[in-house]
Amino acid sequence: MALGGADRAAPSRDHFPMPQLRLEPRAPMASISNERSGSGGACPRTQAGPHAGSRQWVEQLRAGHPRHHQTVARLHDVLHRVAVYELSRRRHQLRSIRGPEFDDLAQQAADDALVNVLDRLDEFRGLSRFTTWAYTFVMFEVSAKVARHAWRRQPPDVEQLEWDQLQDPMALLPEERLEQRARLEALSRAIAELTERQREVFVAIALNDVPIEALAMNLRTNRNAVYKNLFDARRRLRARMAAAGHPVSERSVRELAAGRTARLGPTAAACSR
Amino acid sequence: MTDLRDLDQLLRAEDRDGGCSAGAEILDAYVELELAGEDPARVYPGTAIHLQSCSGCRADHDGLLEAARRFGDIRPE
Repeated sequence: MALGGADRAAPSRDHFPMPQLRLEPRAPMASISNERSGSGGACPRTQAGPHAGSRQWVEQLRAGHPRHHQTVARLHDVLHRVAVYELSRRRHQLRSIRGPEFDDLAQQAADDALVNVLDRLDEFRGLSRFTTWAYTFVMFEVSAKVARHAWRRQPPDVEQLEWDQLQDPMALLPEERLEQRARLEALSRAIAELTERQREVFVAIALNDVPIEALAMNLRTNRNAVYKNLFDARRRLRARMAAAGHPVSERSVRELAAGRTARLGPTAAACSR
Repeated sequence: MTDLRDLDQLLRAEDRDGGCSAGAEILDAYVELELAGEDPARVYPGTAIHLQSCSGCRADHDGLLEAARRFGDIRPE
């Protein structure tokens, strides 16, 4: 989660802490079930410590163990399989990547994940199976590599906001349409009042579906810092909407917005450029 | 283009959001709880909230959950 690009080499790195957000406490060991161990189930820990498979991985990966080299090779093979699977799952973000280039991405992700796993072996505390912990590094590597690739091929246009697409041919009742239009115009005014960075991040991620990782790369920062901008922007917009007489709650929105009809006013279009 | 009908989701920003980094440290444990049929939100409420708001972290979570399901029981030789 959260450690993007070069800053995401390991899950605990955090160059941009979010002081106003609460840190997640570690799970108490006893909270994790140890009753199930079948395929698809989870048996991360027993009262005596990590389950046998995890212990075996950790012991054999230690330098000096007689099976060290075979175990490293085995782990690399598994990480590579996971990387291929995950890259395939995210193929829609890779567009034209195929063949050798795809294989190369998977290989790089597996290589980098392996380095991180070996570097941080002492940090494995048995809160999950060893494999689950190790696959976390693959996910972070794949996230970063996919974003880097997407950014290189097609840098995200974080400024462009296609307000015209907000029009919906499905008509609501005239009074509903007016109310929704007023709501969206209030939103556009609130967006214009954000700081430049907040606006850039909100428009890109929340409105234009730019992947947070790609945006972080574009802004030369990391995912956590971008998320903080997004979080602050959302809070501010929510407050502005409430102050403007358009409080946002799930119930009110669903009641008001049965369809997408309103077109945002010129303020938003101007602010997005 | 995001569907603006769901403004509540679009502007979701909850106080107890754990943020990206906090969740990264426990993502493996979070997923393991899910695989065990337990409710990870009970143990990691901040991450549960965060995953609803952060598409990047949600993608990592979904990938890890799938990988742990498919390849979780592999052992060294």
